[in-house]
Amino acid sequence: MTVREALSGVRWYLREVSGETAYERYVEHLRREHPDEPVMSRRDFERWRQDDRDANPRARCC
Amino acid sequence: MQATRARSIVIWTAVALIGAVAWGVVALVRGEQISAAWLIFAALASYAIAYRFYARFITRTVLGIDDKRATPAERLDNGVDFQPTDRRVLFGHHFAAIAGAGPLVGPVLAAQMGYLPGTIWIIVGVVFAGAVQDMVILFFSMRRDGKSLGQMARDEIGPVGGVAALVAVFAIMIILLAVLALVVVNALADSPWGTFSLAMTIPIAFLMGFYLRVLRPGRVLETTAIGVTLLLLAIVAGGFVQDSSLADAFTLSPEAIAFCLIGYGFIASVLPVWMLLAPRDYLSTFMKVGVIGLLAIGIVVTLPVMQNEAVTKFASNGAGPVFAGALFPFVFITIACGALSGFHSLIASGTTPKMIEKESQIRFIGYGAMLTESFVAVMAIIAASIIDPGLYYAMNAPAALVGDTVQSASQAVNQLGFQVSPGELSAAAAAVNEQTLVARTGGAPTLAIGMSNIFSGATGEGLKAFWYHFAIMFEALFILTTVDAGTRVGRFMLQDTLGNVIKPFGRVSWKPGVWITSAIVVGAWGWFLYAGVTNPLGGINQLFPLFGIANQLLAAVALTVGTTLLIKAGKLKWAWVTGIPLAWDAAVTLTASYQKVFSDNPKLGFFAQRDKFKAALDQGDVVAPAKSVGDMHSIVTNSTVDGVLAAFFAILIVVVIADAARVWVKAIRAREPLPTTETPPVESQLVAPSGLFPTAEERALLAGAGAGANGGRFARTDERQTQRSGRP
Repeated sequence: MTVREALSGVRWYLREVSGETAYERYVEHLRREHPDEPVMSRRDFERWRQDDRDANPRARCC
Repeated sequence: MQATRARSIVIWTAVALIGAVAWGVVALVRGEQISAAWLIFAALASYAIAYRFYARFITRTVLGIDDKRATPAERLDNGVDFQPTDRRVLFGHHFAAIAGAGPLVGPVLAAQMGYLPGTIWIIVGVVFAGAVQDMVILFFSMRRDGKSLGQMARDEIGPVGGVAALVAVFAIMIILLAVLALVVVNALADSPWGTFSLAMTIPIAFLMGFYLRVLRPGRVLETTAIGVTLLLLAIVAGGFVQDSSLADAFTLSPEAIAFCLIGYGFIASVLPVWMLLAPRDYLSTFMKVGVIGLLAIGIVVTLPVMQNEAVTKFASNGAGPVFAGALFPFVFITIACGALSGFHSLIASGTTPKMIEKESQIRFIGYGAMLTESFVAVMAIIAASIIDPGLYYAMNAPAALVGDTVQSASQAVNQLGFQVSPGELSAAAAAVNEQTLVARTGGAPTLAIGMSNIFSGATGEGLKAFWYHFAIMFEALFILTTVDAGTRVGRFMLQDTLGNVIKPFGRVSWKPGVWITSAIVVGAWGWFLYAGVTNPLGGINQLFPLFGIANQLLAAVALTVGTTLLIKAGKLKWAWVTGIPLAWDAAVTLTASYQKVFSDNPKLGFFAQRDKFKAALDQGDVVAPAKSVGDMHSIVTNSTVDGVLAAFFAILIVVVIADAARVWVKAIRAREPLPTTETPPVESQLVAPSGLFPTAEERALLAGAGAGANGGRFARTDERQTQRSGRP
């Protein structure tokens, strides 16, 4: 594995684990499963995703 | 095939030998100090063997995982909460959700029994109980579309078991939040450096929240990078504040900090998530993983030597100053997170089962993440055991015992049978720029001293004070995140319950409902926090056992659900896998509750304590450590409440197990397995490796499916293969 591959692996991991790719996955999901439905803009999607956590709180352990 | 098999036998024999030698050194060497490396080797070798053999046996033979069966993530994929997630990413999410301050605090307190009992329990406990519980609950929830533990308890055991589980969850949440907040209070009291740094996290979080909401939606990484930079600056700036005229403004008494935390908890939990909680969560997750990584590297690089005894006299005489009671059952109560933590069952039946890609991945995610948390606990017990025992007791014994000066602390520690001079205590405090280290209970300051010793061993003595406050900050940061998130979860449960009686409460967006229920939850943990802060007997000393009992109570509920599901599925012969940990957990928890309720030693039994102070109060006497009649009254009230709670938790465990036993008998008498509550199987279209690295067979399968090395989707109708998000 080259250094460049390792770095791109780290970048991929951080983007995935931090949820930065959530929008990309949402768009891909919609295109694949419901091609006729309108796609939210990134701003709207991120707002909706954050506000959803207000309604569905997640526990953090000790 | 022959060659790989032979190689595998050689490798695993070597791992077993390393583990056996390391355990031998850890357990048998007496009279000379050993290197922390032996604990690390013993832990890692045990984890490897348990993961390779025991966890595999459980998944294949006991649970019967089936990768031909689609997981809820695949079947119900909605692109948001249900979605197949790369196993390594999901491991990160799951680990961040289960690991917090718990595995760092418990082992530090348990070090009063010596490093050996705690280490054995952390490693043996995780292998046979903690990791098993997490993985089994993850499996059962995954087979039921991600049902929560409470729902499974109601469906599988019955309404009584279900209600008991809900009450247990709520109770543990309240006690947990109070204890964690108490840890923060003890870490920040009279410390302007720490208080300033932690206070700065609030504007930093607001800034990040605004940035993420308005300026750059979804750019989490750059936002976190900005936040972490500001956070490090805040820690450095704290050192200057300490020496400036601002110091007085940030020097707060324990009571003042408690009220700040209570106010913070209420406001944070009614604000929208994006303002404070979400950005805090990114910061604290990043700090958590970063610091744990640093600690592991620090220990491996500096290889510190253990100063603590392997087993202290407090293990047998039960008269330890940090918490009362003998080794059994109190080591197993004090160390919950890291060995067996009931709270994890809420995460394992929460978001994780909805995102898992393949059934076989439960071993890596459920069992593996818990092994990692256990390793964090081992590092914490190392950090607490490499500092001088005299300093350890001066820091962790309650003020009632050690007084508040270095002279009184030195004397008290000598009476305990350990040595530390007043000069050494002053020097230790000065080295980390704190006014005093005497009676800094709660575990966080001790851990911070241990960590600053390890880190400054690698970076030079000059940075000792920075590393100390860095460690304090990182613990306080994620405790505050837990306080905020936990208050919301408690509020949500309360809204749900009240909604059955008064309709509008059920609507989560109804503002008066949000304020009222938040105030109730914050008021509940706030009461315990304030009682803990002002308790002359020492809040940690009194509350930590209750927290442990509550956490192990939840573990009993989870293991009961697991055992019930195994028996119902006709797997009675494998029910010991969860049954033995359940029996152990019940024995530990019930013994601890029994002693806390019925012991006639006022240091141990809550009611004996109550009677002692009540009797004195009736005579008009004030008994040390109380200084006034008010103190006497508060001891009587606290002891009564704590005693009632301990009894209540014990009753809950008995109710849940007795109710489940009824179901067990019915299931065993039935000729066939009872009807299953699993979602019917659907054939899976996904391929993905099960462990961290794909095996040779998995590589062949993935290549055959035309997917990348880390998984993809079989074509449905045509030959085209789709692969998600370019995984490396």
